[in-house]
Amino acid sequence: MAKQINEKCYIYINGRILGYVKDGSAYAKEIRTARRSGILSGEVNVAYIKKLNAVHINTDNGRIRKPYIVVEGGKSKLTAELREKLKNKEIDFGYLIRHGIIEYLDAEEEENTLVVFSEKGITEQTTHIEVDMTSLFGFTLNVSPFPEHNNAARHAMLSNFIKQSQGLYATNFNFRFDSRSYLLFYPQAPIVSTAVFRSANMQRHPSGQNFVVALTTYYGYNMADAIVLNKGAVDRGLGRSMFYKTYTDEERRYPGGQKDVFKVPSPTAEGYLGEHAYSKLSEDGIIEPETIVNEGDVLIGKVAPPRFLEESISASGLEEKIRDDSTTLKAGEKGVIDSVVFTESTGATKVVKVRIKSLRIPEKGDKFASRQGQKGVAAYIVPQEDMPFNEQGIVPDLLLNPHSVPNRLTFGHLLEELAGKAGAVSGNAIDGTAFAEKGSDRISDYGKTLEENGFDKFGDEVLYDGITGRRFTAKIFNGIVYYNRLYHMVSNKLQVRSRGPVQILTHQPTEGKARQGGLRFGEMERDVLVGYGASLLLKERLLDQSDKASVLICKDCGNIGYYDYIKRSVVCPICGGNSLSEVEISYAFKLLLDEIKSMHIFPRLKLKE
Amino acid sequence: MARKNNFLVTPGEPVGVIAAQSIGEPGTQMVLRSFHYAGVASSIATSGLPRLVEIVDTRKKPATPFAYVYLKGKAAKDFETAEQIAKKINEVRVSDIARRVIENFSKGTITIKMDVQRLQANELTARGVGSKIEKLTKTESRANENAILINTHTKNAKQIRTMAVQIGKMTINGIEGAGRAVVQEDKKSGEFFIQTNNSSLSEIMQVEGVDTSRVYTNDIFEMYRIFGVEAARNTISRELSTTLREQGIAVDPRHLDILADAMTSNGAIKNVGRRGLSGEKESIFARAAYEETVKHLINAAAFGERDDMKGVTENVLIGKQIMLGTGTITLAIKKEDLAKISGKEKKK
Repeated sequence: MAKQINEKCYIYINGRILGYVKDGSAYAKEIRTARRSGILSGEVNVAYIKKLNAVHINTDNGRIRKPYIVVEGGKSKLTAELREKLKNKEIDFGYLIRHGIIEYLDAEEEENTLVVFSEKGITEQTTHIEVDMTSLFGFTLNVSPFPEHNNAARHAMLSNFIKQSQGLYATNFNFRFDSRSYLLFYPQAPIVSTAVFRSANMQRHPSGQNFVVALTTYYGYNMADAIVLNKGAVDRGLGRSMFYKTYTDEERRYPGGQKDVFKVPSPTAEGYLGEHAYSKLSEDGIIEPETIVNEGDVLIGKVAPPRFLEESISASGLEEKIRDDSTTLKAGEKGVIDSVVFTESTGATKVVKVRIKSLRIPEKGDKFASRQGQKGVAAYIVPQEDMPFNEQGIVPDLLLNPHSVPNRLTFGHLLEELAGKAGAVSGNAIDGTAFAEKGSDRISDYGKTLEENGFDKFGDEVLYDGITGRRFTAKIFNGIVYYNRLYHMVSNKLQVRSRGPVQILTHQPTEGKARQGGLRFGEMERDVLVGYGASLLLKERLLDQSDKASVLICKDCGNIGYYDYIKRSVVCPICGGNSLSEVEISYAFKLLLDEIKSMHIFPRLKLKE
Repeated sequence: MARKNNFLVTPGEPVGVIAAQSIGEPGTQMVLRSFHYAGVASSIATSGLPRLVEIVDTRKKPATPFAYVYLKGKAAKDFETAEQIAKKINEVRVSDIARRVIENFSKGTITIKMDVQRLQANELTARGVGSKIEKLTKTESRANENAILINTHTKNAKQIRTMAVQIGKMTINGIEGAGRAVVQEDKKSGEFFIQTNNSSLSEIMQVEGVDTSRVYTNDIFEMYRIFGVEAARNTISRELSTTLREQGIAVDPRHLDILADAMTSNGAIKNVGRRGLSGEKESIFARAAYEETVKHLINAAAFGERDDMKGVTENVLIGKQIMLGTGTITLAIKKEDLAKISGKEKKK
């Protein structure tokens, strides 16, 4: 034992010294007994820290706590009698906590415990039993079947994918105006589910579908995390979903009594978008439900007072100057107006919410993931007749590349596939809860079920190539895996640009999808072209397709001049000379020269030829 | 000859950029696995990225300097002889052989209790050590088998303390600054050489039996002082390649040579950065584009400098075709002039 620093054992309550006792361990024990008997609140945690010879009592908020079954005198306090009562609903969980049978421990108190996984493992030192093995994992991980067969890195991924999956996210979705929401058309309860999944009642609002998955390649279309989908299945509604997006606008009030007005703006309004853009608006300036809309269409017509006060003053007497402040559908979006709602904000201003829906049929570039951290992007949607099929004519919905499995050690995926198949042929739901009692014996059970129903016990099947009709030389493992369609869909992300807006300051192309921007040709990319010696390509990228500017340069003083349209001649503003020549430079360089001038340095450009 | 010509670099090939990319790209992988071999006690030389940074930044003294001392003639083949030479080099300080140092401030004496075993291992006697200390500190001392008493002639406690510390650091045997010298066997040729964990090459080279044509240290500046720039260049190149090889990264030596050449191009060692290579670029814009933009611009203005726009950075900046690769070639005769020439010829 480490040397005790203090002879007195100090008591800290929420980090503050309360006093000291002689025997800290006994003191902590006393508090624990008091808590279990109900004298103290169950939210009090106490820990005796041997190294510092101190007792820490925590009663504050923000501690993560976890329930454990108490063991006293080498026996679990949750007796068979209590279990029976619990089953018959005579008592509930709260009863167990109140009577000190189950207690919540925080991180500090856990240091004083010795927890075993089951009653069998109890020794003299044991203080607690794990309530259930699933409590080792969090919620998202417990939703995944067979997690104990997967690599931890995959667990982190699958927990994220489950959160990103489309499904029936709320039953009142029709009355909700989420800024973005996704709704799967035919969500299915998984064949292989877990206890946590069921206790959260997730079969009633699932977020995926049971896909028939064959673990095989398909003419190179499913290399490196690409997946191949069956067009027939997609046409029948596989992975089909609706995308909802809400546009909101408000009639704001401004100081000075001015306010916005919802209406179809008159052509005199500043920033008028042209008659065509407003053509779908009804008289009140708001679009009607069931209207088909495309990018650039105005959804909410609104006029606003001018941005600066001076403008309205100068225009006084004449017709009041207004500014168009309508909401338009963003570039690349299209759909049907689903719902329009008028409400009032807390500031008693009129608010309009327009929800637009758009059908999202799975297409190339959409992301799918199983509950095993196996994600993939649809790369090819094959006509059903070209898909592989088995002797019964079953065609897989999804073809997953077998190379996705060995390196990533996602054995859970294979297990789920087998279990799903066994569940499908026998018509039973399968339990895939982590650390289930039967353990790995259940795997042979699935094989047995499959054999009883006339399938191979390993899940392998003879498949035929849909294109050539030839039998594949190898038997192909296939089964049923619960797949989620994730909300990363190409149609929301796709962007191209050949020409487009530029930044005012630098004359260089804008950045980002919302601004129709280009993709940055950065410093490292520049180095690559330099490394290749591709000097003209480099010039094209960095000048011609970016901020090329034609500038007049004075041959005498090397300053930038301009063309005087009145005098119809070129002028140098510094020396007044008229001999200037036109030079192509990057606008950024012109800007640099301007900035250098602002530092009281006069850069002269000397031209050759 | 034709075959040799195949390996020549094309004119206008941006060798520097290619070298930079070829070293830089595998360098990114190095960061991830720099925590390898822990526990090899004998040679904990800085390796990986820290060492690479050290070379490129041209630190005056490496964090872990060492020297390889090869031996002449018989010594190279015979362990015993090699050991003898190593003993001459091996630096022994008073603190290495002392067990305890006792200061007596009232009497003004320092007593050094010697570790007899270590004394013997280094073939020294307490008396010998005492007389050496006497010589170096100009004090009087008395010694018996295992202790030395030094009279400091002062009763100033501060002076006594500093003297005691000084004596502790004193080199009694071997070469000052050479550190520990260990005989090792070259696995390839089977010959014996001495590795020291500090370098003071110029002294080591004076030791008899040392093959002065083959000594080596990883201290680039020491190589530069003793053997000149060419040796420094080779040391940079060699150190770079060993550092990279240790990490399992294969970089063509020519890329490293380019870097070493650039660093030593004007006879002195320059580092890579604003105080070295980049700071000495000809173009004002190229320097301003790197670090300390304003400083370069203001200095250029103050001295009325002129940028000839010949480099890469400045031409990318203004949007001109760079004079590298395909941009190296320009027309010798202009189209109009060509018409004139050919026209005249036709008339004739």
